[in-house]
Amino acid sequence: MRSVLCYGDSNTHGQVPGGTPLDRYGPSERWPGVMASELGVGWHVIEEGLSGRTTVRDDPIEGAHKNGRTYLRPCLQSHAVLDLVIIMLGTNDLKARFNQPASEVAMAMGCLVYDIKELKPGPGGSVPEIMIVSPPPMLDDIKEWRSIFAGAPEKSRQLALEFEIIADSLEVHFFDAGSVVTCDPLDGFHINGQAHASLGRALAREVEAIGWPDER
Amino acid sequence: MPDMRFAPPNPLRIADRASGLNAVSVRGYNERLVLSLLLQSKDITRLEIGERTGLSAQTVSVIVRSLEQEGLIAKGEAQRGRVGPPTVPISLNPEGAYSVGISVGHRQVEVVLVDFVGSIRSHAVLPFSDAAQDTNHPQFMGAIAKAIADLPRHLHPRIAGIGLALPGDEVELELTPRAARDRFDALQEEVEREIGYPVYVQNDITAAAGGESMFGVAKHLSDYLFFYLGARLHSRLVLNHQIYNAAAAVSFDVGILRLEEEIRKTGSSPSELWERGADWPSFGDAETAWQRHLVEQMKSSIAALKQFVPITSVVLSSYAPQAVCKAICRELEQAMPGIRAMAGNIERSPKAVGAAGLPFSSRFMVE
Repeated sequence: MRSVLCYGDSNTHGQVPGGTPLDRYGPSERWPGVMASELGVGWHVIEEGLSGRTTVRDDPIEGAHKNGRTYLRPCLQSHAVLDLVIIMLGTNDLKARFNQPASEVAMAMGCLVYDIKELKPGPGGSVPEIMIVSPPPMLDDIKEWRSIFAGAPEKSRQLALEFEIIADSLEVHFFDAGSVVTCDPLDGFHINGQAHASLGRALAREVEAIGWPDER
Repeated sequence: MPDMRFAPPNPLRIADRASGLNAVSVRGYNERLVLSLLLQSKDITRLEIGERTGLSAQTVSVIVRSLEQEGLIAKGEAQRGRVGPPTVPISLNPEGAYSVGISVGHRQVEVVLVDFVGSIRSHAVLPFSDAAQDTNHPQFMGAIAKAIADLPRHLHPRIAGIGLALPGDEVELELTPRAARDRFDALQEEVEREIGYPVYVQNDITAAAGGESMFGVAKHLSDYLFFYLGARLHSRLVLNHQIYNAAAAVSFDVGILRLEEEIRKTGSSPSELWERGADWPSFGDAETAWQRHLVEQMKSSIAALKQFVPITSVVLSSYAPQAVCKAICRELEQAMPGIRAMAGNIERSPKAVGAAGLPFSSRFMVE
């Protein structure tokens, strides 16, 4: 049995577009659930999606617990042994309160990769496979969120390239979620049920393509 | 001291996404390792690439993704096996790179343009005129320019270069028009200057062997004895994918020149012999006798070599019709149990196609 940790924000949590963090798609509808059924019995898929999670930043408004870096260590240790860690974050870092360009968000992704490499929660204390997933770009119309996310849609379109540069530099797997799904026009930055299904299937193929030797 | 982990990222591979091929300097050893593997085998998975190169899954993932973005490789459809996860085969993208190959023979020049898997996209033959007082140089340059012009303009940045196969055999050189021969030393520089692509030069027989190894019947063979049946019979030894190119390789007078002589003796016309891509008519006893001589010579070469190297595979390449090559292979196999003889499957212009493989091996493969 192999274990994969899906580390993300509201789009991993399965928040319904236009809803609140309590409006959530069902376990089998969210992308980690779809991916689990696509991968089949050989895989244990762990969901770790928190609405508002950033890469490395304490959120002065929503709270320090939104910091993806401080929670990553206990999370990795709780769920070890892990064969693969998939990280899809970045959108919340684009909030106006953080005032960050896309390249800084990518640097922060790099931090998380280093933390995983340092902690080595893989089989036998090894570094697990790591996959950076760039989130689908935000739509231009983000409704009542336009002040909170001022300037973010433009930056969100740069994340895929910036993340890929980091993934290449650190030699980890990379997938651009924007290549298979778009955000729902209801709020402009969450993905709907159909997108969860497409993303789950696409990521299952990416996971398989890594190539996994037979387990001893 | 600054923590260098957080210095600006330094991606080596996605440097240039605009178009065309990445500069040679950024194609690192690991990337060449992966491309070499793909040039040798079709439809392999990332897992197999990792196992055969010793690279980590993450490194393979990064390299494969960047080669895919560059258009050099393509993913196939996922294959679902009865056990285990589906596998995604990876192959070279035929449209990913192109190359021009030129071979200069003693009767004619051949120019081909091939794609990344060795399929001929353009082909031209330029005979030397009998009264070769002057050279056919302008036509020669014209044929190269035309091979390139035959490829749509937007694909020109995908041309890896030009391979030039020149004869080294003393006897065949003597037969080559003097005016053409005199230009050989300057040819690389002239073509490079006039056509504007890097030119790689190799001995023509070695190039033909390289062509069969890269694109042809020898793709999966690591060790074999290569015969080239041209005007004379030539050979090269290939061990661990490496072609041994002796400085003073010998050739034998059992080739097509000899057959021509035998046919002349019977009073028939041998003109069909030198045509490319046409079947030969039966030349009767003259051909049978020639074939016997040829096989005898091949047998003695193999026997001599077998004292030192346990060779079991033989490849016979030629522009002679494949039916003729296959008949020779059959006879050789009958005469030498334990030897597997295969006719090369680059039928048209094996030397020029082999030459076209040179820019690929120089730019994409490990030494």
